[in-house]
This record gives sequence, structure tokens and C-alpha cells, in this order.
Amino acid sequence: MIALHGVTKVYRMGEVDVRALNGIDLQIARGDYVGVMGPSGSGKTTLMEILGCLSRPTTGTLEIDGRRVDQLDDVGLATLRGERIGFVFQTFNLLPRLTAVENVELPMLYRRTPRGQRRARALELLARVGLTSRATHRPSELSGGERQRIAIARALVNHPSVVLADEPTGNLDTATGDSIMSLIEDLHRDGQTVVLVTHDPRIAARVSRAVYLRDGVVERDHRTGQRPVPP
Amino acid sequence: MLLEIVRQALYTMRLHRRWAALTVFGIVWGTASVVLLVGWGVGAHQMTDRGLQKVGKNLVYIMAGRVGADLSPADERRVLHLEMDDVAAVRASARRVEVASAEVLHFTLARYGAASRMTDVRGIEPAMQELRGVTLAAGRFISADDVRFQRRVAVIGQTARQRLLGSRPAVGQRIDLNGLSFEVIGLLSRVGTQLSRNRTETDEQVWIPLTTAQTLADRGNHIDLILARPSDRRFNEELKREVRTILARRLHVSPADEEAVFIISLIDMLSGFDSVFAFLNVFLIVLATTTLFIGGIGVMNMMLVSVNERRREIGLRLAVGARRRDVVGQFLAETLVITLVGGVTGIALGLLGCAVLGLLQGDLVPVPVIVPQVVVLALVVTMVVGVISGLGPACRAAGIDPSETLRVE
Repeated sequence: MIALHGVTKVYRMGEVDVRALNGIDLQIARGDYVGVMGPSGSGKTTLMEILGCLSRPTTGTLEIDGRRVDQLDDVGLATLRGERIGFVFQTFNLLPRLTAVENVELPMLYRRTPRGQRRARALELLARVGLTSRATHRPSELSGGERQRIAIARALVNHPSVVLADEPTGNLDTATGDSIMSLIEDLHRDGQTVVLVTHDPRIAARVSRAVYLRDGVVERDHRTGQRPVPP
Repeated sequence: MLLEIVRQALYTMRLHRRWAALTVFGIVWGTASVVLLVGWGVGAHQMTDRGLQKVGKNLVYIMAGRVGADLSPADERRVLHLEMDDVAAVRASARRVEVASAEVLHFTLARYGAASRMTDVRGIEPAMQELRGVTLAAGRFISADDVRFQRRVAVIGQTARQRLLGSRPAVGQRIDLNGLSFEVIGLLSRVGTQLSRNRTETDEQVWIPLTTAQTLADRGNHIDLILARPSDRRFNEELKREVRTILARRLHVSPADEEAVFIISLIDMLSGFDSVFAFLNVFLIVLATTTLFIGGIGVMNMMLVSVNERRREIGLRLAVGARRRDVVGQFLAETLVITLVGGVTGIALGLLGCAVLGLLQGDLVPVPVIVPQVVVLALVVTMVVGVISGLGPACRAAGIDPSETLRVE
């Protein structure tokens, strides 16, 4: 349900054109659990930006749920992001002055969801990630693992088509990282499409499908035959 | 959402505490000064009006001089004088004259016992009480009968009483005016300092019946002055024209001759002051608005820095579905809240200042007046400044690339 055809992304850096993506063809099916790997400079982050509708491809097409989205205007992209994409970042990116539940509500604010509905859905998701007791805490009062869980809850709030996670365990210790990966795999088992970027081989070993990028193109794309380990 | 914005705005200010204090101070100063200074100006204007009107509300003085505007030297020109019949004519024919009365001026020696003093004595008619807006502290005023019978009775002002009688009760005493004995029948209430006066303050004068004064001063049936009043300030010009026409005809002079018929209208003086104060108001408002805008520049700079510091936050908001206009709105609102905090504080301080200064007493001390329009203006300008100052930062915020959030510092 996500399809990229011939996608390139060229940045102008001073006098030089940088080809971050040099022709990507990729299909992601519903329910896929994909890991995107590659050395630094391979275009992983740029690919996530394109998938997440944070920037438009220079050439090529992007389809999400059957709709062409590469030529949408800014408002269109923003709406799309709010409705279809859930982001999970390495640095969590929670708003420090909002409480946990308010952070989870944020995407709904921009969709003009009525307050009662917002609060209910946010609490539902906090329960899903096991953090109901932390609803009124601020991020500074939470551990790294807890913050990432809040971020995951936030990503799920609008029933996204895909959750895009950029090094979700990058800022966490091994044990916490493992519990976050378990949570993500839980979501996958429930049918959520997940695309994750990582350079950690241990994480890479857990995904169902591995896509390797090098120099802006897909070098390798195979099913690992891996079934996520039940908790 | 609004509460969140207010909270965020206060947080931004706390974060840049000193900077915020300095820039918001500009706004506080601008609004406080405009409320206080304009209020003070209006108070001063009202005080001036009151002071001017203490001689009598909306008075017009009418006198006869010499025939003017011909080529002969001044002292050879025919001297003119007014008479009681002229007053009657003005009363009868000038439609805009509500009240008119005659006055005779006689500066003479007043004596009581050992105390004696050259005093401004006025021959008046009963209408003078109303024209001059005086009230009696004791006794009664000059009556029509007093005038008809040329009685030797007097009404004196507080200062005159103090000087001649000390603190003795005035009514019933006998004083000497120009060697003749007069009975004091009334004492005027204190009028106070007057901004315009007819040679002396009312409090210093002694008023006697017109006819008595004419005899005392050997004037025959001449009078020195007609005082008149229109029913409303806006009839001022018409009244002057009518009086001039009527008197010019009676005196056989040209109505255009301003040396022959001499008219001084208090209302013209008031209008003169009106212009001065209007200009002052405009000046103060322009000054205060300038200060407000300068404060706004400071707020804008502070917000630009804040936007820069919050790049990731903005990127994140965009990533979760905020449109650029949502981000613009957020920062615009935040700037507006900051400027309003300053504006409202300043207005409150200005109002406080007005109230505190209002406790000062004194005839010639202007008391600041709270002018609601100025408060509203201050608020509106503050908001305009807030919006204008917020546009720069808001546009900068909207220009942030959402992919900022994916970059790890």
C-alpha cells in the first residue's frame, strides 16, 4: 500500500547537487515489518522523509493507499501526515511543556478532533503502551523508555497506515531498547505496518523484511523469513 | 488551545526573563504613559475650562471704545459709550442672547474702621448673580428694588471681607465707599483662583446696585460693560454678530469697526485652549505609539530567537499534521499574548497613576481623568503591535523544514 517508483531526491548544497536518492523502487505491503539499513550517506534518512511525506521526491512517484501523493501541496502533505503517518524518532521529540497525555493528543489537535474524543483516544493508547499511570507527568519526569512509549502512543493516535521509526532504540540502553522493540513487534502482530530505519544489526535481525540501501539505491531487498519472537 | 498558548507565551518570557522584561517594558511604558499623560492632559483641559469659566459660564464681554478704522490719530477719534437703553436693545433684539446685564466699574477707596483699601467696586443688576454663577455664603443679593431706589447696599467677596472686616460676620456691617456709607447685605461664597479675570478676582470685589454706582462714579446713565451669554456655546459667533449689528446701528458706527464695539468672548478663549489641548493629545498619542512600536521590535527579536530555539518542536508539529498556517497562528498568538501582557500591565499602571494623582488637591492642580477611549486605543494599538511584531517570527516558523525533526544534532 506504499509504492515508490523511480524516486530520486536531489539537494543543492552550495554549488554542488547531492543525489541523496538515485532511483528507488519499493513496495511496502499492508502489515509488512520492514527494516531499512545501510551505511551513512546511503539515503536512509532521506527515504524516511519521503515515505513520511516530509519532503517531496525530485522525480518519481509515491503512492499511499492507492493515491498519488508526490505532487500534493504543503497543505495536502500536512493533512496526509496527520491522517496516515505515525512517526517515532530516535530523540523521542516530545514537547517538554505538555504532559504525557497532551503529547499523545497533539496530532488530534491538528485534525480538530473534539476534546472529549481526543482525551479518550489518548488514554486508550497510553493504556496500550502501559503508561496510564504516567498520563499527567511531563517528559522530564519520565525515563527514556517511557518517553519512547509515549511517542509510540502518539504515532498511533490517528490510526496511521504506516508507523515510521527512525532508530527508535538509538537513545536507549539495551534492555529498554529490547522492550521498545517488543512493543513495536506487538503492534506489527496486531496488523500495523511498520518501517524502521536502523544501523544496529541486532535490530536488523528482528525485522521480517530487510531493505539495504547504498548510494541512494536499493541494493538488496529480501524477506528474512523471520517471525517476530513472541514476548 | 488558548490556555496552552498563554502558558507557552509566559514560558517563553520566563525563559528570556531579562530580555522579556526590557522589551515588554517598552510596551508597558507606552501604554501607561498614554493613559496617564492623556488623562492628565484632559484633566488639565477641564481645569483650564473650569478656571476660565469661574468668571461666569460662556460669558461675552461687550464694551464701547473709540471709533476706529479711519485715518485720524487715535486720541482724536470720537469716544463712544454704552447706556442702559443699549442693554435693553440687546436683550430685546439679539435672539441668541439668553441673558444680558450691565456693569459699571469703579475703583475706589473702601474703608471700615482703621482698615482702608482701594477696591474694585462694581455696579451691577440682579442678573449678575446668575451670569457670574456666584452663590451667597450669607445674606441676600442685590435686588431690582435696590437698583430702582439706588440704595446704598453692598455684596462683598470673601477676600474683600477678610481685608476690611477680618473674620467679623459681614452681613449688617456698614462700610465706607468713597466716603459714603453702605450696608453690607450679602457675602459671596468663595470663588477661588480664576484663570481669566476682569482686572481682579471676584473674591476681591464689592458689588453695589448699578444706579448707585453710576451716581457714585458720576457716570450719568453711562455703563461700562455689557455681559451676555448665549444659550449654548455654538451660538457664540451668531451672538457676536447680532450684538455688533445692534450696537453699531445705535452708536452710528460700522458693524465692522472692531475698535468701536469691542467684544471679548470667553468661548473663543476656550476654543483656543481646545486647539492647544487637542494638539497636545495628538502629540502624546503619537509619542506613546512610537514607544509601543519600539517595544514591539524588541518582542519580535525575542520571538525570532525563540523560533530558532524551537526548530525541532516546530518540525515535530509539522510532522504530526500541523499545517504551516497552524504554526503561523501559534506564533502570532504567542507574540500577541506577550504584547498584551505588557499592554494590560501598562494600562493598569496608567489607571493607577491617574487614581493616585487624583488625590492631589488644589485649584490649579490638574487632576488626571480616566479617558475610556484612550484605554481602548492603547489596547488596540498594543494588539496591532503584537500582530505586526509576530508576523516576522511566525513566517520564519512556517518556513521550517519538517525534516528537521529527523536530523539528530
